[in-house]
Amino acid sequence: MKLIVAVIKPFKLADVKESLIKLGVQGMTLSEAQGFGRQRGHTEVYRGAEYTVDFLPKLRVEVLVEDDRAPDVVEAIVANAATGKIGDGKVWIVPVENVVRVRTGERGSDAI
Amino acid sequence: MHVLLGAAVQVPYASWLNTGDNTWQIVAATFVGLMSLPGLAVLYASIVQKKWAVNVLAMMFAGFSIVLIAWVLWTYKMGFGATSIGHGVKDGVQTQLNGVGWVKHFFDNLVGRPGQITNATSEQGQAVSAANTAIPFHFPTTTLAYFQFVFAAITPLLFMGSVLGRIKFSAWCLLVLGWSTFVYGIDAFLLWGGGYFAQEGALDFSGGYVIHMSAGVSGFVAAWVLGPRLLRDRQTAIPNNLVMAAVGAGILWLGWNGFNGGDPYYAGADAAAAVVNTNLATAVGVVVWMALDAWGTKAKKPTFLGGVNGMICGLVGITPSAGWVNGWGAMLVGLISTTVVWLAWNYLSKVRPFSRVDDALGVIYTHGIAGFLGGLMLGLFGDPNMIEYGCGKLDAAGQVVNTTSAAYMATTKSCTPFSVSGLMYTGSFHQLWEQFRAAVWVILWSAVVTFILMQVIRLVLRGLRYRDDVLEVGDLAIHDEEAFPEAPLAERTGGGGPGAGSAFELAGIGARSSPPPE
Repeated sequence: MKLIVAVIKPFKLADVKESLIKLGVQGMTLSEAQGFGRQRGHTEVYRGAEYTVDFLPKLRVEVLVEDDRAPDVVEAIVANAATGKIGDGKVWIVPVENVVRVRTGERGSDAI
Repeated sequence: MHVLLGAAVQVPYASWLNTGDNTWQIVAATFVGLMSLPGLAVLYASIVQKKWAVNVLAMMFAGFSIVLIAWVLWTYKMGFGATSIGHGVKDGVQTQLNGVGWVKHFFDNLVGRPGQITNATSEQGQAVSAANTAIPFHFPTTTLAYFQFVFAAITPLLFMGSVLGRIKFSAWCLLVLGWSTFVYGIDAFLLWGGGYFAQEGALDFSGGYVIHMSAGVSGFVAAWVLGPRLLRDRQTAIPNNLVMAAVGAGILWLGWNGFNGGDPYYAGADAAAAVVNTNLATAVGVVVWMALDAWGTKAKKPTFLGGVNGMICGLVGITPSAGWVNGWGAMLVGLISTTVVWLAWNYLSKVRPFSRVDDALGVIYTHGIAGFLGGLMLGLFGDPNMIEYGCGKLDAAGQVVNTTSAAYMATTKSCTPFSVSGLMYTGSFHQLWEQFRAAVWVILWSAVVTFILMQVIRLVLRGLRYRDDVLEVGDLAIHDEEAFPEAPLAERTGGGGPGAGSAFELAGIGARSSPPPE
């Protein structure tokens, strides 16, 4: 089992969510995040003063999948979260030891 | 020191000026001005999303100012000038009361001759206008001009509620200028300045037609031409501050004491009656809308904003008739206008064309429909015993002397007390018919001219709306200001960027969801 974690631009959520649902993913967790990548440290002017901006608002999407589905899910996220511009985000795959469904106690693949 | 009898001395005001009338008129005008700034400004800015609050405030202050500048340069005289372009009205006197074909009658009494009132003679001379042909005005031109200005100013601000959330600020400014000149300037003369409809007998005590119905229709047409707000803005249209909304609503309600109380032009009994009737219709409106919400909606809960809507229905509904109906009439007006508008708000809104036009704050219902009904209800409930101007003897200074109450109320051979007779009291459809005719004109004229103005402005500015990416951001993109700033950037580690809302907000996710779009 794998945990796919993706950090994406907030307004791309709708596209990413749609594509995951089409793939048959059974659930996802969303959290707010702030992030930066290689282009950190640009300045912006706000109310007449200059500020150095690193962090920008992002969303973190987390999805649990079986090993064989992980590549498809990653592809779907990358295709739908991309805008071609700086700040599109990253996706990574984390191996998972075990999963339990709280309501029923099911474990392992049954809990995904 | 010897003072010669009859020697000239300095006096603070002319003999035609009545200090009570002048005071009340200026006070009433100020109340109405407060209804716009800050009343309506704060009310509207509080019921839109946070990101649109500054845009609303900016359009309110700019709109109010633009109307005033045009008012003293040309629009006041268009609406209330003593002489009309067609000479049907000359020096405050209507010259064509009989025997002219209706087409010539209409065009000769269509609008006043535009002109400025900025010189000293205009500012301080006695007000002269066919707005009141019964009795000379007891205050100067500027008092009448400022009083009428605050009404002219609030009207476009009302229908800003239909176009907010996407209209370009520059388009708004041009729209206000053009609309105030060509719609308000003409309608005001026709119904109030002694023009065609006034001569035919149509009546509008304080502007149910000229102001509210016109604003409702114009806003609707403008919103239709403009196109809707962003889908996400329509889905998350959550008020940002109901406490401030109450401040705005309260000022609007009590300011209306000046709106209706000032329209008799004299600080007499009819002014007092207008004030009480206004508050009565409004109180009924508040209670009725809340009751209808508690009984008739799916949620079955009375709402504060529902109360505000009911308040507006009552206020708008009584505006055409405030000093001409009695207390029962006022309560009926409140009940009927609120009930009908509640039904329209909840049911008519789901039907074309209403469901296809994004009238953001529902101005067509609370002002358009309520104003239309209110004007018709004058034709039903006008009480001939509610006397606006009675009869008495005038001394040389224009003051009434030696008049008993009976003499005031009675008809003499040369004088008829002025009141309005509705269907319920006299069985005559005359007033109702005149009201209907005037309503049809105001609706058509407002719609057509607003449509034309929007198209012209679209050409001149190469588009009426902001781009979608500007609409996504709102105030910060348009004005570089925000109403409710997050913690200053310097305090945050690294920033987050100007205009960075929460990521969930940017994704369109909220704890409360609104009904899905039609």
